[in-house]
Amino acid sequence: MRLSGKNITKLCRAHGLSLNALLKRAGVSKTAFYHLLYKESVLPRSIEALAAVLGVRASVLLDEADQESRRAVRLLEEVDRIAGSDLSVDRDNVRHTLLLLEEKPIERLQRSLIRARKPDLHE
Amino acid sequence: MPENLIFTSKEVAFLRELERHKVEFMLVGAAAAALQGAPVVTQDVDLWFEDVKDPGIQSALRKSGGIMVPSFGHNPPTFAGDAVKLFDIVLTMHGLMSFAEEKKNSIEVSLGRVKVRVLDLARIIKSKEAVKRPKDLLVLPVLRDTLKTLKRKER
Repeated sequence: MRLSGKNITKLCRAHGLSLNALLKRAGVSKTAFYHLLYKESVLPRSIEALAAVLGVRASVLLDEADQESRRAVRLLEEVDRIAGSDLSVDRDNVRHTLLLLEEKPIERLQRSLIRARKPDLHE
Repeated sequence: MPENLIFTSKEVAFLRELERHKVEFMLVGAAAAALQGAPVVTQDVDLWFEDVKDPGIQSALRKSGGIMVPSFGHNPPTFAGDAVKLFDIVLTMHGLMSFAEEKKNSIEVSLGRVKVRVLDLARIIKSKEAVKRPKDLLVLPVLRDTLKTLKRKER
């Protein structure tokens, strides 16, 4: 499984970051990044070996993480679309709203009340 | 069930009793906004009653073990008792029309075993714009962004 330069670029754009800024903030050197980017597989050999024995691609073993990543990209693309059409909106508000809309109304209320009642908020 | 994490069994019983007695009420304020996706926090759940003297409210209170403290001085009527202390009574929604008119601007939302009417987010914003308390002015930008997000998401 390879590192996706395309996805990283998309996510950088969604966060308003350049690749250099991302690497700096993440504490990853350019050498390390490009080394990973051009590797045939970023997974440890043991994962590849497990997949080989099971007769599946290594990505099948990592499906959940992959789905989460795709979901995050889709969400940020939606934030881009909405915030891009109205510069007065706060991107964080849009992102939080979209995340909450993925939940049931009762779960949204639960978050709202629990956060308001958290006793050690300022401790 | 998330409903058990938000509401105690007595609070659920109270809402169900209101429903059973066909008491006209709807959720308003920050809790209603949160139900529609607004990333806001709140301490209580505001219930706007069409008629606070509706006998169904007293029946629901009796059944769930709560009481209503009548208004005195500048204090509006309030609920008291474990069963109902989460809920606040709202008599008037500033900047809005009558309950019957605003009911047309409400949506039905399921809270687990109970279904409640919830005032539409656009109308919650309108009311907070009219009230203009400092806490309303602080939350308004978030509510407006949520409404814009909902509208653009539909497209």
